[in-house]
Amino acid sequence: MDGLLGYAWVVTLLPLLSAAAIAAFGKHLPGKGSELGVIALLISFVLALGIAWQTFTAGIAEPFERSFEWSPLGGGFVLELGMLVDGLTAMMFVLVTLVSLMVHIYSREYMRGEPRFTYFFSMLSLFTFSMLLLVVANNTLLAIIGWELVGLCSYLLIGFYWEGKSNQDAANKAFLTTKVGDVGLIVGVIVLSAGMMGLGTSTPFNFLETNAAAAAGELSTGTIVLAMLLIFVGCVAKSGQMPLHVWLPDAMAGPTPVSALIHAATMVTAGIFLLARLFPVLAQSAVVMAVIAIVGVITLFFGGLLALVQDDLKKILAYSTVSQLGYMIAAIGVGGYTASIFHLFTHGFFKALLFLGAGSLIHAVHSNNISDMGGMARAMPHTFWTFIVGTLALAGFPLTAGFFSKDEILLAGDGWAGQGMFTGNLVYWVGLAAAFVTTFYMARACFLIFAGENRSHHPPHESGKQMVAPLMVLAVLSIASGYLLSPFSSEEYNFETWTATPLIAEATFPFLEEGGEATGGGVVAGGVELAAAEEGSYSMLHGVPSWHPDLLAIVLVLFALAVFLAWRFYGRGLPERDPTLNMGVASKVLVNKYGFDAFGYRFIVVPVRDPLAKWTTWSSNVVLDGIVAGVGRATKDAAMTTYRVFDERVIDGGVNGAAFSASWWSDRLKRIQSGDVQRYAGALVAGTIVLVLAIAAVR
Amino acid sequence: MSLVGPLLLATFLFCVGVYGLIARRNAVLVLISVELMLVSVNINLLAFNNLLFPADAAVSGHMFALFIIAVAAAEAGVGLAIIFNVFRNRASINVDDVDLMRW
Repeated sequence: MDGLLGYAWVVTLLPLLSAAAIAAFGKHLPGKGSELGVIALLISFVLALGIAWQTFTAGIAEPFERSFEWSPLGGGFVLELGMLVDGLTAMMFVLVTLVSLMVHIYSREYMRGEPRFTYFFSMLSLFTFSMLLLVVANNTLLAIIGWELVGLCSYLLIGFYWEGKSNQDAANKAFLTTKVGDVGLIVGVIVLSAGMMGLGTSTPFNFLETNAAAAAGELSTGTIVLAMLLIFVGCVAKSGQMPLHVWLPDAMAGPTPVSALIHAATMVTAGIFLLARLFPVLAQSAVVMAVIAIVGVITLFFGGLLALVQDDLKKILAYSTVSQLGYMIAAIGVGGYTASIFHLFTHGFFKALLFLGAGSLIHAVHSNNISDMGGMARAMPHTFWTFIVGTLALAGFPLTAGFFSKDEILLAGDGWAGQGMFTGNLVYWVGLAAAFVTTFYMARACFLIFAGENRSHHPPHESGKQMVAPLMVLAVLSIASGYLLSPFSSEEYNFETWTATPLIAEATFPFLEEGGEATGGGVVAGGVELAAAEEGSYSMLHGVPSWHPDLLAIVLVLFALAVFLAWRFYGRGLPERDPTLNMGVASKVLVNKYGFDAFGYRFIVVPVRDPLAKWTTWSSNVVLDGIVAGVGRATKDAAMTTYRVFDERVIDGGVNGAAFSASWWSDRLKRIQSGDVQRYAGALVAGTIVLVLAIAAVR
Repeated sequence: MSLVGPLLLATFLFCVGVYGLIARRNAVLVLISVELMLVSVNINLLAFNNLLFPADAAVSGHMFALFIIAVAAAEAGVGLAIIFNVFRNRASINVDDVDLMRW
C-alpha cells in the first residue's frame, strides 16, 4: 500500500518551485513573494501530515522506497535518484515543513520593510527544499547534495545583512567550519560505499542496503569504524558539536527567523538525522558508539555552561542549541535511537518557539541584549507566556515535551549503563547536571527579560498577529508533541513505532551479546514482544516509558533549585555585579569560550589565511585583473575596428551611397521631363522608328 | 492599280506631318500637322482596301477612314479650344511657352 507515500517528492519539490517563482516574479506580487512561500509550505505541510498519518498508523513498517537509475557509474554500479519514506522521513517532513511554515508566516511581519525582502523569502524556501531533499534521499550521494545545499543556504542567510563585516565573517565561519566536516563526511561515504561495492551490490550508496548489510554483519568492522567516524566528523560540524561548534553562535548574525529555522528544523538537525539514518551501521561498533557518546556528553555540558555568561539573548539560545544537540548525539551514542530523534522532534518545536519569541522581543526593544530588556511580561503578554512555555519545555519541566524527550535520553543512558557501558552512566549523570545548568541560564534570561523594570529606550509593544500566531502554534506543540512517547501514549502506536523500521526493531548491538545483562526482557513495541528481547539481549527499542518517580524527583528538585538560584540573583532586575560574570577564572574561561575561537584564529585562521591572502591578492591583482583588463582591451579594439571598417565604410557607405546616387541620377533624369510637348513627340517618333527597325531586324 | 503612288503620297504627307509636329512653334500649325498625319493614314486605308478587295463592294477600309475623319474633327475642335484658352491666358500660341508640366 503506497498511498500518499508515493507523493513524498511533491513535499520536497514544492519549496524549490516556490523559491524559483519568488525569485522570478515575487517582486511584482502584492506580498512581494512571501505569499508564494507560505502557500507552497502550507501544501507541503498538509501533504507531510498525510504521509505522517499513514506511516504512524502503519506501526513498525517496512520503509517505502522508489528510485530510478540516474546514471551508470561504471563497473556495474548505478547512481540512483530516489526517495526513501519511512517514519523517520515522515517525522522530519512534519517538523521541517511546520517550522518552516511558521517561520515564513512570522517573517512576513518581522522582515517587513527590509531591503531584499523577496530574496530573503526565496532563500528561506530554498533552504527548506535543501533540508527536505536530504531527508527524502534514498542514497548517500543524494543526501550529500541536500547536505551541501543546506550549507550553502545557511551561508547566504547568515550573511543576509552582508553590509556588515562581522556578518560576512560569521557567514564565512559557518561555511568553512562545516566544510571541514563535509570533507570527513564525503571521505566517510566513499569508504562506506567502497565496502558496499565489495559485497557485489549495484547500488553501493543505497541507505537501506547499507543498513541491512551492516545489520547482517556483512561489512567489516574496520570499514564501519572508519566510515562512521568520518561521517561523524561531518555531523559534528553540521550539528555544532565540540570542537566544531564555533560557527553556531556566530550564525546569530542572520535575521532571527533564520536562526529559528537553522537551530530548530534544518541545518543543525541534519547531522543527527544522518546518524539516525545510518543507525544500524554505527550500532555495529562499540568504538563508534563510545566516541559519539563522549563527544555528545562533552558538548551537552560545556556548551550549556557557555550560555551562562552570555548577554545576547540569541547567543544564549544558540549555546542552548549546542547543548541540546549534544543530548541528541549522546543519545545516539548510548543506543537511544528513538530518544535522540524524539528529542530532535520536540526540540525543533520549542527551540523554534524560543527563537521566534526572542525575535519578537528584539523587534520590540531593538536590542539583542537581555540587559536592555526587563519588565516585558506586562507589555508583551503573548510573547511572555509562549516564551515561558518554551523555556519550561527546554528546561524539561514535567509534562512538557522537553521533559518526556530528555527523560527518554536519560533513561537510554541508564539502560546503556545497565549493559555495563560506562558512557551510559556518563550520559545519565552529566545529562542531569546539564539539565540544571539549562534551567539556570534560561531562568536567568527569563527573569532579566520579563521581571523588573524596563531598561530599554523603547516603550515595548506586543508584536502583530502574524508574529504572535506562530508563537502560539509552537507553544501548543511544545507541550503536545511530548505525548507521542510518554507513559500516556499507546503501546501499539507511538513515536517509537512510528520512526522505527523492522530492521531496527529486530536488530541488536552485536558487541553487547556477550556478557551483557539481559534487561530488555520486558520490551514491547508495536504490541509485539520483540524477538531480540526474548533472546535476552539489549534491544534498540525501549518501548513506551513507564513513570520513574526517582528520576522525576531528581528533575523536580534540580529545577526548583536552579529557578530559586536564578531568582535570588536576578529576580530583582539586573544585578550590578552579574554573578555568572564574577566567578573569577571560571567566568574568564567561559567568556573566552574555552579559547576555541582564539585558538582557531591563531593556529588555523592566521597560518592559512595570511599566505592564502597573499596568493589570492596576487592572483586577483595580476592574473584576474590581467585577464579582465586584457579581455576589456581586446573587446574595445575589436569594437573600434568594427566601427571603422564595417560601420563607417560598409553600412554608412551603403546608406550614404544609395542616397547620393539617387540624387545624382535623378538630377540627370529629370531633364527628360522638360514639359516641351514637341520634344516628347520627337522622342515618340524616334522610339517608334527604333522599334520598327528592331522588329524588322529580328524578322 | 499600283499601290506605289498612293503609298508614296501617304508617306510624304506623314513625313510632312511629323516634321510639322516636331518643328513648328505655332500651335495651330502643330494641330494642322497632326491632321496631315491622320490624312496620310486615311490614304493608306483606302489604298489597302482597294488592294485587298479590288472587285467587291467591301467598304471596311472606307468605314475606318470615315471614323478617323470624325475623330479628327473632334480632336481639332478640342485642340482649337485649348489653343483659344492658352491664347487668352498668355497672349501667345507658341508651344514652347506652354511648359508648365515640367520638373
